[in-house]
Amino acid sequence: MSSSMGMAFRSLKRRRLRTAFTVSGIVVGVALILVLLSLTSGTSTRANALINTLSPAQITVVNSTGRTSGAVPAGGNPVFIGRGGGVFGGAGGLAGGGAAATFAALFEGSDTMDQSVVSAIGNLTGVAVASPTLSSTGYVNGNAAFLTGINPATYKEATGGLNIVNGTDLANSTTGSQLVVGQILATNRGLSVGSVVTVGANSTGGSQFTVVGIYSTGNAFGERFAYLPLTTAQTITDKQGKVSEVYVKATDPSQVAQVSGEITASIPGVSAIAPSTFTGPATALAGTLTTFFTIIGLAALLAGGFGVVNTMMMSISERTREIGALKAIGAGKGQIMKIFMSEAFLIGVIGGVAGVVVGVSISLALPYFTGAATSSNVSGVGAGVGGLFRAALSPTVTPGIVLLSFGLGVVVGVLSGIYPAWRASRMDPVEALRHV
Amino acid sequence: MSSSQVGSPSVGAEAPASKAAQTPEARPVVVQTIDLAKRYKHGRIAVAALDGVSITIAKGEIIGIVGPSGSGKTTLLNLIGGLDRPSNGRVIVDGVDLGTLDEGKLADYRLKKIGFIFQFYNLMSTLTAIENVELPMGFANVPKAERGERAEELLKTVGLELRMDHMPDELSGGEQQRVAVARALSNSPSVILGDEPTGDLDSKSAKALMDLIWALRREKKVTFVLVTHDPIVVARCDRVYSIRDGKVLREIIPKTENAKRLSEEESLMMDTLY
Ligand SMILES: Nc1ncnc2c1ncn2[C@@H]1O[C@H](COP(=O)(O)OP(=O)(O)O)[C@@H](O)[C@H]1O
Ligand SMILES: [Mg+2]
Repeated sequence: MSSSMGMAFRSLKRRRLRTAFTVSGIVVGVALILVLLSLTSGTSTRANALINTLSPAQITVVNSTGRTSGAVPAGGNPVFIGRGGGVFGGAGGLAGGGAAATFAALFEGSDTMDQSVVSAIGNLTGVAVASPTLSSTGYVNGNAAFLTGINPATYKEATGGLNIVNGTDLANSTTGSQLVVGQILATNRGLSVGSVVTVGANSTGGSQFTVVGIYSTGNAFGERFAYLPLTTAQTITDKQGKVSEVYVKATDPSQVAQVSGEITASIPGVSAIAPSTFTGPATALAGTLTTFFTIIGLAALLAGGFGVVNTMMMSISERTREIGALKAIGAGKGQIMKIFMSEAFLIGVIGGVAGVVVGVSISLALPYFTGAATSSNVSGVGAGVGGLFRAALSPTVTPGIVLLSFGLGVVVGVLSGIYPAWRASRMDPVEALRHV
Repeated sequence: MSSSQVGSPSVGAEAPASKAAQTPEARPVVVQTIDLAKRYKHGRIAVAALDGVSITIAKGEIIGIVGPSGSGKTTLLNLIGGLDRPSNGRVIVDGVDLGTLDEGKLADYRLKKIGFIFQFYNLMSTLTAIENVELPMGFANVPKAERGERAEELLKTVGLELRMDHMPDELSGGEQQRVAVARALSNSPSVILGDEPTGDLDSKSAKALMDLIWALRREKKVTFVLVTHDPIVVARCDRVYSIRDGKVLREIIPKTENAKRLSEEESLMMDTLY
């Protein structure tokens, strides 16, 4: 009977205020669940992306003797250093301040190390491959850019390599004038495969390079780099024999922490960082938060559900004589169930839609409250990193989350309707018709 | 109404008390109650709402049920209408003993064989006039297009073609009651049961409703059982059962009884009102 939906709709429309109150219970629950799900999902997926960009290998080795911040303007990252209250604040808290401080080196840039550490690391037991890189700021066609010199062969082995979406990867050589650039950089600077560009340590001069490939990482920060052969990079930045990071892959993935400790202990002046040893706790924390907030959200939905039960019982008691008449004119139990279940379903649908609208709005607005101020006073790399942090804090609203939250609203509406509808369907028609 | 023409069970066998001879013999019996009783328990005390009622109603008759408040009139209608089960006795409608029907079949019986009209109309407040008329057809799975067509036709029959899309609270009492009549007619029932259908109407609306009922009987051979306190309704009925304390006190045929007899009955009924 198609009219049961229309009937339900008009019944709800008739008692607008009561319907609004009832629906609002569901709205709160649905919106809460949506925001929390998108917040936790956004945080964990973006945290992983961030970590992968900053430390694409199992272990990253950097100079531990001092920091001159060559690559990043001073004060480049107030969010992180100031513990702005994000994932890494939490991660640092769990892993200890030391890990957080060391991890900061990844953001801030560090002194270079002598290239001899590469073979020293490579000779340690448990190390499968040690791949040196030299990161620095430089210029592409006169525009500032991040330059990273790599050994293409070992880099691929240690990190899995670049995700080339256009053209080819660098040839397996540490010399030559090939360049692979990130998608964002390519777009911003109008580069494509085959472009010939001038790359140098300062804005004037430099040497000619050919763009052979374009890579993608899926996040904006990671796509602002230009990769070139290591020796070539050392030459144009005048840092012959120097490297800034060494990416290390352990022979046995379960031994990452030990190998990392071994590197720091046995090679003077370096510090090894294994992000997995502190992203683990961060992920666990995110999991705990998800559980906690999910329980709160479900509790809100449960309360909303009781609201629906209450309203439906009221509506049924007001319409007792109508229900008696329904039975008298021949409505079966199932048909009466259907009429009232339609009403509950509709409350769930309205609550679900409104909850999704409210939840998505809050999710979209949230980053402006948590992070908008942080990036305004920094520039260059700072802006990039700050933006990334803001992104890490911002909820990710996926179709799955929208569907799940909406679905929960509908399910709560329907479940809450079952008891009242069942009561209506079993009313004694004689009693119901005598009701005044 | 053609569906109600089935079977013509033994009219004479369970002949109603005294005036059986005056019942038009040619017409098939639609409703028959045999020694019908209904007891309600008020705590420990059992109240006999109905106590051995045997009546017979033929197709196309308009039967009045009169009696003081609490005499069992509504209970009798509820038992005939399959809304309630008797404590004793039987109800046979169109040859079917309601006692043999399970709950689902009984709902189906109410849907297809019975039409109800109530004192306070009891239309669905959330449906328009035409949707109210379509509702029972929807329950009976009549195709949507056919439902709309038939509901429109029925609303025309009761003179409400200009009010089809109004909500019940936008209609007068008389109009609502006519929608209720159209609703009762929608699945072409064998009998329409009215529990004080004019009880809440002004005299003009009551007269209009009565004219409608008598026209339906004349043109469509619809059978009616009307519980009423209204002497004007009583005067127009074919036969009237006067009920007291759950029993049939007597059966009156207003058109053939003399005026004195009728006015006695009338005053009897008026007594019960005050
Ligand atoms: N559902 C019920 N429960 C208990 N007693 C009832 C019920 N229905 C009717 N009665 C009793 O049965 C008697 C007849 O009631 P009813 O058929 O409604 O009378 P009428 O319609 O003639 O006023 C009354 O005494 C009434 O109190
Ligand atoms: Mg009554």
